Amino acid sequence: MAIKAFSDEWAGAFKDEVNKSAVYKNAGKGWKWTVGLVVEAEPNKHFPESKGVVMDLFDGSARDIHMGSAADAQKCDFVITAPYTRWKEVATKQLDATKGMLQGKLKLKGDLPTIVRYTKASQEMTECTTRVPVEWPDEK
Amino acid sequence: MHDARARRMARRKVTPPEEELVTYADAEPSAFASMLGGLIEANVKSRPEKQGDFDRLVARVGIWVTDIDEGVTLDFKGGKLVVHNGLAAKRTLTIRAEAETVMSLSNLKIGPLGLPVYFDETGRGVAGKLLRRKLQIDGLLPNLLTLNAVTRVFSVQ
Repeated sequence: MAIKAFSDEWAGAFKDEVNKSAVYKNAGKGWKWTVGLVVEAEPNKHFPESKGVVMDLFDGSARDIHMGSAADAQKCDFVITAPYTRWKEVATKQLDATKGMLQGKLKLKGDLPTIVRYTKASQEMTECTTRVPVEWPDEK
Repeated sequence: MHDARARRMARRKVTPPEEELVTYADAEPSAFASMLGGLIEANVKSRPEKQGDFDRLVARVGIWVTDIDEGVTLDFKGGKLVVHNGLAAKRTLTIRAEAETVMSLSNLKIGPLGLPVYFDETGRGVAGKLLRRKLQIDGLLPNLLTLNAVTRVFSVQ
């Protein structure tokens, strides 16, 4: 059954997918920083307020992933910001997250060498989002 | 006439403002240019072993990402780097590859004698792409040492 995009239930399902992933467990070894995803509002897509996905990732597992405000996500060690539509493109495999960052479609804040060192882990995180069946607000 | 205050002023230690290692040739650097420039700057500042290579490196290296149709030129000027949007003229080396491969290049480990490691998983992947021409490096043969130095500066491992 599809889950409402960027809801608490979605965050829980995303966390479960991350913790089920053997690839992430291996690729994320040594990671010890928080990651915030800022999903910017797009009222014309029925996504009226910006939201934040706050992720406490540690050594190949997700200790916690929860929804918060954009400001909560911006407090994380690494912050990736994009409008709602871009995140939808990532979660539906229309946009590769690495290419998105190189093109400036996803804006990254944080220590670049660290995030580049964990490219494989971040690619697998993206894969995990694609495994969660989602109900998108602009498709209702 | 002697002015004692002037002498005191002259002896005062003046700290020069920190010079920027990386600058951008374009008024609006592309996201890719900012990312590579930022990556190299953070690498050199946080890893003292990369400073020597960065100080000696004089080369113009083009990087073209084939699946996003964007590129940059890294103009290393011996301790300074100027990043250009797109491919600038008179390049020493030009690397053409997909985004994922470019990221793999920055993940190559550096082994003994400062040579990139091509026998671990990442290295084998890069070498395989070079053999299959999914990674193309123009100017490679006469500039192998330069490529190794660029890889050392570029590598986050």
